Amino acid sequence: MAIAVFFVAAAIAVLGGIGVITFHQPIRSVLSLVLVMLALSVIFLLLSAQFVFAVQIIVYAGAVMVLFLFVITLLGPARELGRGRLRYQGWLSAVFVLVLLGLMWTMLQGVQYRQPDKADLNFFGTVQAIAVGLFTTYLYPFELTSILLLVAAIGAIYLSRKHIDEL
Amino acid sequence: MSSLNIGGSQLDASWFLLLSAVLFGLGAVGVLVRRNPLVILISIELMLNAANLTLVAFSRQLQNMEGQLFALMSMTVAAAEAVVGLAILVDIFRVRDAEDIDDLSELRG
Repeated sequence: MAIAVFFVAAAIAVLGGIGVITFHQPIRSVLSLVLVMLALSVIFLLLSAQFVFAVQIIVYAGAVMVLFLFVITLLGPARELGRGRLRYQGWLSAVFVLVLLGLMWTMLQGVQYRQPDKADLNFFGTVQAIAVGLFTTYLYPFELTSILLLVAAIGAIYLSRKHIDEL
Repeated sequence: MSSLNIGGSQLDASWFLLLSAVLFGLGAVGVLVRRNPLVILISIELMLNAANLTLVAFSRQLQNMEGQLFALMSMTVAAAEAVVGLAILVDIFRVRDAEDIDDLSELRG
């Protein structure tokens, strides 16, 4: 059962990924990415990461992607023009990415899995388990992300303000 | 090879890593081939998601929560990156049309 779920979700994710890079209208790329994220959230659930599953759907598919959709509708339907200035760009990128995938494949062949810790899988990935990690060992990184988000919000407001001299 | 017992069936950990590698490769193709800056940002999000999948898969294989915590941190960073990147794009598009990222090459050395 879990195997079937995995392969269906993986197929949907890969198809969505192909859609992201092949659709000509950006809005379709974004919707394909939403599809990828939903498929990945199913896989997170298979990996007993319940909280990451919820965050993936609410924050990623729900908030970040809606931001992308807003910007696309704000900027209007931009279609990609014909060929770019670089010659052989497509072929060179295909070669580069095939090399990259080959590298990752070789790494996967030689990977040495460590013996797993004996964790309680009923507790694993729950909100409680996440919170214990976030508020004890990783308290400082967690607090620092709040500063990061504040900086990002201020930066976005600054960048998208109305220029005074244009008025 | 390390098989994970998920709901009674045995799934191999390398399947998840392979899926993550394929998604990362697709995102890399998108960044290299597409010329619309918005689509490039979307492809970067795809690559970040693939990296998250690797983190969560290893977290499950090692039965250690730290991978999931790191995936949450990387989601935060991805959200911040998307916000700032889109704000820069909106600012550029306000001045002129930038349907091709090659048109935005004034800053090159």
